[in-house]
Amino acid sequence: MSRVLGDGWALPGLDAWNRAFFTSGALVLQKCRSCGHVQHPPEEVCEACQGFAFEDFVSAGKGRVESVAVAHHPVHPALKDHTPYAIVLVSVADAPGLLIVGDIVGSPPDTVRIGDKVEVVFEEVSDAKSGETFRIPQWKVVA
Amino acid sequence: LHGKSAICGIGETTYYERGKSPHTEFQLACIAIRKAVADAGLELADVDGFVSYSDSRNGPTRLARALGLRELRWAATTWPGGGNSVAAAVQLADAAVVAGYARHVVVFRALSQGQFGRFGQAGGGAYIGGAFAWNGIYGLLTPAQQCALRTARFMHDHGVSQEALCDIALACYANAQRNPRALRYGKPLTREAYHASRWIVTPYHLYDCCPENDGAAACVVSSAERARDLRARPAAIIACAQGVGPPYGVFRPADLASSHYEQVAQNLWNDAGIRPKDIDVAQFYENFTGAVLIAMCEMGFAPPEGIEEFVGGGALEGPDAALPFNTSGGNIGEAYIHGFEMINESVRQIRGESTCQVRDVEHALVVGGPGYAPGSAILLGASQ
Repeated sequence: MSRVLGDGWALPGLDAWNRAFFTSGALVLQKCRSCGHVQHPPEEVCEACQGFAFEDFVSAGKGRVESVAVAHHPVHPALKDHTPYAIVLVSVADAPGLLIVGDIVGSPPDTVRIGDKVEVVFEEVSDAKSGETFRIPQWKVVA
Repeated sequence: LHGKSAICGIGETTYYERGKSPHTEFQLACIAIRKAVADAGLELADVDGFVSYSDSRNGPTRLARALGLRELRWAATTWPGGGNSVAAAVQLADAAVVAGYARHVVVFRALSQGQFGRFGQAGGGAYIGGAFAWNGIYGLLTPAQQCALRTARFMHDHGVSQEALCDIALACYANAQRNPRALRYGKPLTREAYHASRWIVTPYHLYDCCPENDGAAACVVSSAERARDLRARPAAIIACAQGVGPPYGVFRPADLASSHYEQVAQNLWNDAGIRPKDIDVAQFYENFTGAVLIAMCEMGFAPPEGIEEFVGGGALEGPDAALPFNTSGGNIGEAYIHGFEMINESVRQIRGESTCQVRDVEHALVVGGPGYAPGSAILLGASQ
């Protein structure tokens, strides 16, 4: 699928902390190996037990819109032809207590409401420059 | 605390539209500092400390050299962030003079965005890495967008309408019409013009966002004992507070509709021994109107369900307002010097020199920026 912010918009600079989230094609969150706490965005230390060892937690990606702001003003020149877009904060059912930033795909931005049920979808981008295939989590409103 | 120190001098440059300053940022800083020191009746050589906040580019040794200080004994700044730490900067100066580490500490903010680019400007490029990736990849790039997400949830949870945001903008513009220093002086705003203005990011119209400006403002903080012997009437520093609790500023369900001012309020009111009803005049850092509504609630001025009524019907406008608010025009109406214009305005209110002077001011409050954490606030008093 083409990207909601346009195919020219910035891609993630990958590192050990975000590679699975942005490339795996699953909604991968960070889980502490010692205590099982799931936190997002990933951190170097578990905020529940101060552990340093983590593993992947794969969320089913069923969520709820906790807030939405529709960006009309293109704050970067590359976004000029891609406004308005709906920025959402999503909570997911299987990892309560955290929020994931995303955009809404497939609905007019001004129709998105707090409380809408959403599910994760992925924008797939093959990047010739880095040789990476990105699968960027985004959100689709479901009935 | 409780009046062991005071602000004994204030100064500012002419304020300019963004990019229009004829001076460099460092020159602007020097102008504002010189004026503040002269206002206090001190010599530049008497200054022995500098404090700024939020990634100040104007370093203390460079200033000390340019301004001819005898010695520099206190150089401090807050962590990077934004206007959240404007009051915390005064707190750092207060700490220094009360502890005796320095005698006369200058606190300042200087901005020349034609020279250095815009504060909070969205980054970009081919790749966004590190901590910025989680938001930036999704086009969540600016403080306006971040505050918009919190405001949208606050409005949803408490049934607050767009009119309440408009009331904040109208109050700032109305008060700016009394203030010849204000960049919006002579440019009144109507409710109709507010609603007709374009969206920046919902729920923020153009007029919900403060313009960006160039200029500098400074004040001198001295011990109460030293301040008594100086030229100007001192504004006693009654209490200063910083604060934030879990989840420490990141987006989480528990504090999604927060401006990070609950702990600041608790710390400030406990320390000061007074309550919001005792405040005669308040300056709230309004980078964005909606975030101020949240900060007002968290500071204890109104419950969220009552905030629309609290700010409605002109309740914040003019010197006789129920709560005289941003009496110089604030960031929106006077100039966006990252809230420092509010420090100086509070001192003017204590002295009786505001262009929107509230009668018999005993307590003047400044609440810092509601975007980043920790937030900060200071309470100034007329009595020594």
